[in-house]
Amino acid sequence: MSVKPPRWADKFLQWYCRPDLLEEIQGDAYELFERTSNENPRKAKWQFSWNVVRFFRLKNIKRSNSHYSNNTFSMLKSYLLIGFRNVMRNGATSFINIFGLAVGVAATITIFIFADQFFHTDDFQQKRDRIYEITSVVNAGKKMTTLSETPYLLAPAMKEEIAGIEEITRFKLHSGAFRFQDKVFSESFYFTDNNFFKVFNFPITEGGTQVFESPKNIVLTKKMAEKYFGDQSPINQAVSVKFGNGHSEEFVVGAVLDPPANNTMGFDFLLSMQAHEKIYSKNPTWADVVHATFLLMKPRHGIDEVATLADKYKVLQNEASPQWKTEEFKFYPFNDLTTRSYEIESGIVGSGEPQGVYALLVVVFMLLLLATFNYMNISIATVTTRLKEIGIRKVLGGQRKEIMQQFLTENFLLCLIAVTLGSFISYLFFMPWLNALVEFKIPFSFSSTTNMILFFAALIAFIMLLSGLYPAVYISRFQPVVILKGKEKFGQRSKLSRILLTLQFVSAFTTIVGCFVYIDNNLYLKNKDWGYDHHQNIVVPLASSDQYIKLRDKITNQTNVISLAGAVNHIGWYRSTAPIEHDDQKFEVVPFKVGFDYLETMNLRLSSGRLFDKTIQSDQVESVVVNENFVRAMGWDNPINQTFEYDSVKRNVIGVVKNFNYTDFYRSVLPVMFTIAPEEEFDYLTLKVTNDATPNMEAHIKNLWKEIAPDDPYKGMLQDEVFSNWTHNSENEMKLMSFITAITIMLACLGLFGLVSYNITRRLKEFSVRKVFGASTAQIFKLMNRDYIWILAIAFVIGAPFGVWLMDILIHQTYADPQPAGILPFAISILLMVVTVAITIGSQINRIVKENPAQTLRSE
Amino acid sequence: MKGYYLGELEELVLLTVGVLFPEAYGVSVMDEIEKQVARSLNISAVHSVLTRLEDKGFLKSKMSDPTEERGGRRKRIFLLTAAGKRALEESNEVRNQLYSQIPKVALQFKLA
Repeated sequence: MSVKPPRWADKFLQWYCRPDLLEEIQGDAYELFERTSNENPRKAKWQFSWNVVRFFRLKNIKRSNSHYSNNTFSMLKSYLLIGFRNVMRNGATSFINIFGLAVGVAATITIFIFADQFFHTDDFQQKRDRIYEITSVVNAGKKMTTLSETPYLLAPAMKEEIAGIEEITRFKLHSGAFRFQDKVFSESFYFTDNNFFKVFNFPITEGGTQVFESPKNIVLTKKMAEKYFGDQSPINQAVSVKFGNGHSEEFVVGAVLDPPANNTMGFDFLLSMQAHEKIYSKNPTWADVVHATFLLMKPRHGIDEVATLADKYKVLQNEASPQWKTEEFKFYPFNDLTTRSYEIESGIVGSGEPQGVYALLVVVFMLLLLATFNYMNISIATVTTRLKEIGIRKVLGGQRKEIMQQFLTENFLLCLIAVTLGSFISYLFFMPWLNALVEFKIPFSFSSTTNMILFFAALIAFIMLLSGLYPAVYISRFQPVVILKGKEKFGQRSKLSRILLTLQFVSAFTTIVGCFVYIDNNLYLKNKDWGYDHHQNIVVPLASSDQYIKLRDKITNQTNVISLAGAVNHIGWYRSTAPIEHDDQKFEVVPFKVGFDYLETMNLRLSSGRLFDKTIQSDQVESVVVNENFVRAMGWDNPINQTFEYDSVKRNVIGVVKNFNYTDFYRSVLPVMFTIAPEEEFDYLTLKVTNDATPNMEAHIKNLWKEIAPDDPYKGMLQDEVFSNWTHNSENEMKLMSFITAITIMLACLGLFGLVSYNITRRLKEFSVRKVFGASTAQIFKLMNRDYIWILAIAFVIGAPFGVWLMDILIHQTYADPQPAGILPFAISILLMVVTVAITIGSQINRIVKENPAQTLRSE
Repeated sequence: MKGYYLGELEELVLLTVGVLFPEAYGVSVMDEIEKQVARSLNISAVHSVLTRLEDKGFLKSKMSDPTEERGGRRKRIFLLTAAGKRALEESNEVRNQLYSQIPKVALQFKLA
């Protein structure tokens, strides 16, 4: 036969065709081919292929396992029963295995809820698809900055002139003292337009949305209602408000809101914009600003309609405010604010930078991976004792696929238990802990049911496939003859098992060392010298400047007071900068305006020259005291009596103080200069008292305050507390880090424990024989642990530097002046690991030591 | 009646298998139908009809001895079963019976 049918078609036919039909089908196809090929080989080939394609019908196609198709279901009960028996038989190991996984799952659930919350903030706002925030882009010296502030007059002008806008509402932030009967608190609040409720939906617990019809009405949150009125009904209660400009006004509570947990619009009180016009600016100009403007587009109107018309208002703004020109009005869709709000300076909506959350998600993913590896490792080890079962199954006709199905089913069951247990752990422990760490409350719920279902489905699928697939494939591969002859050596030297364990400990060391580096750094900063002595100082922020003299006169004659001074800007909070130019130097400086004696009272350390002196006339205007960074920035060798110009006045340097932290450690220390300000401008009073007198003194000042300023809340504090915000954050971070470390160590050790205990069980006979022949405990110990010690060592060498490297990046991004990573974190993590590993293994070794070889060897 | 229902093509194939006795197999059935009624069928269609008829019990089959052609592959030879024979008779009968009942007038195609 010279011509042959096309190979591919023939192959294809053989591949798909049912074996019992192949002969006749192929035969007929060949016969037709041979007949035609004598006349026209090309046609014959074509015809053959066509016939093969036509034979490709359901009835001719090979069916795999068609006889067994129902077996999986009928075997399900048996699989589950055997699985359950196995779990019960290896009680401790199974528990460790499931529990370890559950902890990983719990952490994942917790963090996922946190992230889910983060990325779905404000989604209760029903009109959010049509809401936009207007921002102003301004040129702030070196770079363009997007500000939340917009012209006061922008909203009314736009509403009038642009047809596509349905509503436009403004927010103006102010603070003042609120008083209800004898309760006085300092509060921040927003003035807002009376269409607020047409743009935003907030659940109203009392009152109605018509509340801003009257400018006398005030809206507050449920939390505030409880703070001021306790159990009384807040509606129609009168609250008096003393504003920053001294104006006082009575307001009536019109409505109470209860914002959902994922609300980011941080207000406690809302007042009517009409009230603002009465109290502050009667004739606003284009130079006046509000803190935020939101517009609601009509349905089917795009924001481009507004954007194209906005240039007109830019011109008006630029004319009115030439020093602070708006370059462009930029519109942010409300939905984008969740993740992009950090682009907007001082915005009022959004949840900050998402990087931290991404980082957290990565960490928790690692944790889950660790837990899953753990689980997988123990699963593989556990199977060693089930080899006989697999052998018998295979002998009795079990297919490889069925064995895989069996193990996957069992695994699915265990994963399900772990996820359920994990949900409980998350609900009962992790969520409350996380809620204790962060200021806002995160409910144990998902943003939507779809999200929840998707998350759990993905989680179970991920764990199940990752942890179950490899063992199932690996185990089902064994030949029954080899197993039943007892020749299969398995688990003992499994490479994968050891690689997994190494990986586990690498990530454990990375996490532990990283966390310790971070904690170490925080502890270092906590005890770091601030550059001045702050333990005996009290600071009292003033509501108005006349209070300075009143308070000073009452305090100065106290015996415990060492010194007392006033200031416009106080060390600890102030960090505004101003540009300074001298010769060819140009840099940012933090200009403090203070009173005489302030520097002495605050214990700043003089490095050269002198401090301000009341008796020297020129100190009132032109003398300045600078810090060392200022001298460095100027490039002076001898700073004293150098002159420069600032604020159109010629300044003369009389002294240099050592660098000090005028604000928290997140920021680096910039050049600082002090000038003298008159008493009438003071906003702060600060005093230094003798040792141990601070608590008494503070109580005393509090009493004095009630006499001189009954309408203003007392806001004084110890200087030690000015960084309380940072201290608070830092403590929370340390708690979180310790928590992650604890979980990591626990997971790693659970994994190790499971593995070691399994290996011992398996090799119990071997050890017994060794003992009979006189092996000492030490020798057995060595035999047992050589592998693990190597794994630990390798993991440490890889993991520790990696952890340091990662954390170093993070710390340098967070802090201006961190300490370099010391040897301590390494030492602690090694010690911690060695101790926990020793305990883990030791508890198992004990088993061997106690074991009576006779007993072990007799039974089988 | 239902068990003996035959499709048009099925009937044709069943008849051809009878005609070709004892040499009826896929290709010969296809060729015979083409020759006798000038209907060109694809071999796969013939196969599916043959298996269907076998499933219904109208045909039985056996493998032939291998021959030189077809690369030494055997043929599946189809034979009528008793049920197949009855089915053919029945459909023939039904046809004749119905045909005989047609009034003569209806068959006179002359212009009125």
